[in-house]
Amino acid sequence: MSAPATSPLDHPEVRQASAWRYIAGFITSMVLMQAALMVTLHQHLPYQEYVFTTGGLALVALLCQAALFFGLDISRAQIWKSVSLVLTIPLFILSVGLTVWMFQSLAQRTMIMPVTTVQPTLLE
Amino acid sequence: MQVAIQGPWSPLFGRLTLASIPYHTPILIATFAGVAVIGLVIVGAVLYYNKLGYLWREWITTVDHKKIGVMYIILGLVMLVRGFADGLMIRTQQAMAIGPNSPGILGAQHGFLPPFHFDQIYSAHGTVMILFAATPILTGLTNVIVPLQIGARDMAFPYMNALSLWLTTAGAILVMLSLFVGDFSAAGWVGLIPLTELPYSPGVGVDYWMWAIQISSIGTTLNAINMIVTIIKMRAPGMSWFRLPVFTWTTLSTNIIGLTAFPVLGVALGLLGADRYLGAHFYTAGLGGNLMLYTNLFWIWGHPEVYFLVLPAFGIFSEIIPTFSEKPLFGYTTMVAATFAIAGISWAVWLHHFFTMAAGPDVNGFFSIATMLVGIPTGVKVFNWMFTLYRGRLTFATPMLWSLAGLFLLLAGGITGMMLAIPAINYSVHDSVFVIAHFHCMVLLIGAAMFAAVSYWFPKVFGIQLDERNGLMFFWTFIAATGIVFIAMFALGFEGETRRLAYIYDPAWRPMLWTEEAGMMLYIVSIGYFARMLYVSLRDRIPVPADPWGTSRTLEFLTHSPVPFYNFAVTPQVNARDELAWRRDHGLEKTQPDAFEVIHMPCNSAIPFIIGMLAMAFGFGLIWRIWWMFGAALLGIVIAVIIRSFDKNLGYEIQPEEVAAMERNLATAGIIAEQPARKPLTEAEAH
Ligand code: HEM
Ligand SMILES: [Cu+2]
Repeated sequence: MSAPATSPLDHPEVRQASAWRYIAGFITSMVLMQAALMVTLHQHLPYQEYVFTTGGLALVALLCQAALFFGLDISRAQIWKSVSLVLTIPLFILSVGLTVWMFQSLAQRTMIMPVTTVQPTLLE
Repeated sequence: MQVAIQGPWSPLFGRLTLASIPYHTPILIATFAGVAVIGLVIVGAVLYYNKLGYLWREWITTVDHKKIGVMYIILGLVMLVRGFADGLMIRTQQAMAIGPNSPGILGAQHGFLPPFHFDQIYSAHGTVMILFAATPILTGLTNVIVPLQIGARDMAFPYMNALSLWLTTAGAILVMLSLFVGDFSAAGWVGLIPLTELPYSPGVGVDYWMWAIQISSIGTTLNAINMIVTIIKMRAPGMSWFRLPVFTWTTLSTNIIGLTAFPVLGVALGLLGADRYLGAHFYTAGLGGNLMLYTNLFWIWGHPEVYFLVLPAFGIFSEIIPTFSEKPLFGYTTMVAATFAIAGISWAVWLHHFFTMAAGPDVNGFFSIATMLVGIPTGVKVFNWMFTLYRGRLTFATPMLWSLAGLFLLLAGGITGMMLAIPAINYSVHDSVFVIAHFHCMVLLIGAAMFAAVSYWFPKVFGIQLDERNGLMFFWTFIAATGIVFIAMFALGFEGETRRLAYIYDPAWRPMLWTEEAGMMLYIVSIGYFARMLYVSLRDRIPVPADPWGTSRTLEFLTHSPVPFYNFAVTPQVNARDELAWRRDHGLEKTQPDAFEVIHMPCNSAIPFIIGMLAMAFGFGLIWRIWWMFGAALLGIVIAVIIRSFDKNLGYEIQPEEVAAMERNLATAGIIAEQPARKPLTEAEAH
């Protein structure tokens, strides 16, 4: 055993963050989420840009949280967690991407309504 | 925010009233009487033989992976019987309620079950069989076997392992409770939307279904994490990746599926809960909701889930066939690659469950091809097993028979699956009993693997033989019954019978329905043989050596039978892929260590059991909208978790002299032996 078992906090893979990291993580998440909320409420951006902006903000928030809350990096203690997180990306693309494609197809074939009354889907 | 509900509600009892107890339904009263008698007999026996303390110390609070695994399997077997009873009622109703002139009894127009009751039964059947029978039995098997196969002392997180078990148990208890308090969902095991929405299912049935699954699947997810970490981190020295037994490989891939898929189910049901409890509109037809969203999310979990079940079954065949062919597994590397290929593809095929939803030919075409691609790695596996058999020295013991029968079921299920994967065919047989026959071939393959595994590893874990004569009778009657029921069902599918019918409108289906019913009778006979097999084995208790089959190949057969609670007195050094076979070839399989070391073990804990029971109260409170109960249970869980976090228990140590003594007298270390109280380590001793 590398470290004594008595105090879990002595293990780097258990002790994931420190007080300042938690605070920093909390503030960054707050700011980024707030920004996304503002963008949504003000409706200034055209649809396409809007989707990318909010999506981008969510991605940055995710990365901040992974780094600051969970202390994910490529050190020996954390590499397994970081790799696992990265490995979910293909799954994410697969399930969300195929779902979007399917709903796009459904919308075209079943929601036959005047164009002005329907919201565009992600692919339009 | 909280939605208004129909019917009475009181702060103390929520929606629960005396009318929720179905004392006017004869079938349920008889069931209740049966359950009560069995329960009283068990409780009485425990008290009479003064085993309550033993049960508490050695089982309920245990963190030993073997005991947890055995309890998982017992839970699964009990639920298997429950699910079978549901199946029997479905078949009997359909055998009785044929045509407008068929008589009705017990308040039913036709047959013996009114439609609403019938609907609950098939919904419970699917839910119970998939989530509370097959999943726990397989989880239990991996729990028992994998740490032994990789030479570990226990799982990576023994405490969390117990927690998983008790969460799954909490879900199972809720399902059983729905029999006697309120009713169960009538919307199918998949939760047909929008039927599960509050306006269409205003009772508590859907809530039972939803929270039971939700709670138990948290257990399954935690177990998946535990398994993955165990396999990655806890392997004995020398157990490199490409020396891992194939069952361990399939467990790894299956739990990667579990870890990634179960959260999707949690979200799907969570959003349904938001609709039902908070008045959200995720799946409603209007107000921005979308029905298809549910179906999509459900099957994003649902299809990976079927592979979650089938991959361990493939792993079991891959252990048993070499043992009884006296040859190493053919094509180990391709077997591992095929396992991961199946797991990977399983993520891109879910839409084949709703080809008829109206997606375009491009979308359906993509998913059709993706589905058929699964056939390639599966084919690789089948050919590997066949080449393992080829020119092997075959012994047809029960585990081997179950495995071979499983291969035939795989063939039937796989080929009909390929047919269903063709959208043009799917449009004509979707929602017919052809689909039911297809996936029952698949799940019965899993059943065959489970029985194969139980008969293969039972002697190892308990140190006594499993009666072969009754085992063989169990096998033959079960397989014959399967053939009778499901060949007839395929035929009915082609004749156009749709699934979930409480009343059969076409008398032309009668012959096949009666054939199925005859098959069900044979299943009952087979269950009798199963019970007798257990009875005879426990009565005779014929001890077995470390390797009961004489030709086993993997590490778990190196330690004693019954397996001591510390697994291996000295952690083995692994030299080859089939370690035991390697040692046998080198004449080393009987060598004993000449010195023992101190063994460090985790202490028991009552907290997992307490959290499990609180989770059940949490679910019950939500189901009946008894808010105080829900709040108190939630608070209790939080407090229990906090208490556990501050509990600096360091486990205990067994001294070499004690290990030596137990190695000489194995009965004192086996799975049913009671251990003396051992003091936990103190802070000072740990350094
Ligand atoms: C060769 C691999 C397989 C193929 C090609 C395949 C194909 C299919 C297809 C296309 C359907 C949808 C039928 C319909 O509703 O119209 C289906 C349903 C189903 N399959 Fe399979 N399948 C395969 C393996 C499995 C396995 C391994 C399992 C279980 C362990 C399984 C369990 C199910 C279940 C439970 C359903 C129906 C669920 C429901 O609607 O209630 N399948 N299969
Ligand atoms: Cu599927």
